[in-house]
Amino acid sequence: MEKCKTSEARVIDYVYGELDQSESSAFEQHLATCSKCTRKVYSYSHVLHLVDDAESEFLPVALAPRNLEAKLYKRLADAPPEKNSILSRLSNYFSNLLLVLHEQKVASICIFSIAAIAVAFFVGNPFRPTTLDINRINSADARIEQYRHNDIQRNLEDVLRKKHLRHSDSWDTVSQLNRVKDQAQGTDWANIAKNQLKRVHSEF
Amino acid sequence: MDKMIDDEMLVAQFKSGSQKAFDELMKRYERRIFGYLLRSVRNYEDAEELTLEVFFKAYRALGTWEPKAKFSTWLYTIASNLSIDFHRAKSRQPVYMLEDEDVIEKRLIATDISSNPEKNLEDKERGRIIREAVDELSAKQKSVFMLARYEGMQIKEVAETLGMAEGTVKIHLHRAIKKLQTLLRPLWENNEI
Repeated sequence: MEKCKTSEARVIDYVYGELDQSESSAFEQHLATCSKCTRKVYSYSHVLHLVDDAESEFLPVALAPRNLEAKLYKRLADAPPEKNSILSRLSNYFSNLLLVLHEQKVASICIFSIAAIAVAFFVGNPFRPTTLDINRINSADARIEQYRHNDIQRNLEDVLRKKHLRHSDSWDTVSQLNRVKDQAQGTDWANIAKNQLKRVHSEF
Repeated sequence: MDKMIDDEMLVAQFKSGSQKAFDELMKRYERRIFGYLLRSVRNYEDAEELTLEVFFKAYRALGTWEPKAKFSTWLYTIASNLSIDFHRAKSRQPVYMLEDEDVIEKRLIATDISSNPEKNLEDKERGRIIREAVDELSAKQKSVFMLARYEGMQIKEVAETLGMAEGTVKIHLHRAIKKLQTLLRPLWENNEI
């Protein structure tokens, strides 16, 4: 019997579906006459089947990270702003310059642009970081503030809902409203909490 | 947001200042990236933290990102690098003994073969043993195997993600499958898994 010269890599490629159609059918014809390769194909297929089962059992489809969006914006707000290196500022500066020259083909605009850049170079600071990052940080901050407002609103609604359900437990309502008032310092929610406190006191 | 809008369009919207575009990108990929990292580090909290780090880095770098590859490929590149850093940092911790790869391989086989053959392993235990074998793959082998097998990537995409040549990816994939076979075959031949 002739010794099989099929490489291990070829068998794995077949099992893994990496062979094209013609290669695959040629290999299947070979399998019909080669028990050694048939055994290998079974063995590799079985390994992949076992691993697939173990991995799908480990990771249910529905699994997702918790509150990723809120955590991300919090992280962005806490992180120090990125400082552009001198090199990247220079590169930004010259790429912007080239872009302007490329797009504005009218000579007068070119001259005006060059003059404006020259003024910016000698009078202003041409290497200042782009304002884009500042905008981003501001929007991340705005998002954090929005989460804070949502949180205060949720807590206040929670207190009022409980107050409505449990008329008798006024002390608990007062202490919860005080907590919300503290949390809401510097926002309109603080006034709302204060008014609610007055109302509860008057109901005593 | 319209699902028909492709990732690159969302990236462009984000670059022109739309936060919602980034939220949409995050919504599209958070589960996939988290799943990939969870398989890589095998710990929920660590995977969550690394997922956050991936999107944090992406958010800060997206402004200057040039779309040479797909957005998803770029995101997986960040995730793979973080995962490799995580494993590297973990391996430096003194509680773990550094062992030669072959020694670990032999130990895994020996431990499992020498365990009581009468013992009926429950499905969970079986899954754990198989995943332990997957974790014995080298960092590169595991990354290649996970991306190709569970993230639905073609060899070319895996190569782009990990910054390797396609041939190298194939070699890592072959070695990974061969090693899994070496580790697991004795166990199923002894009806232990």
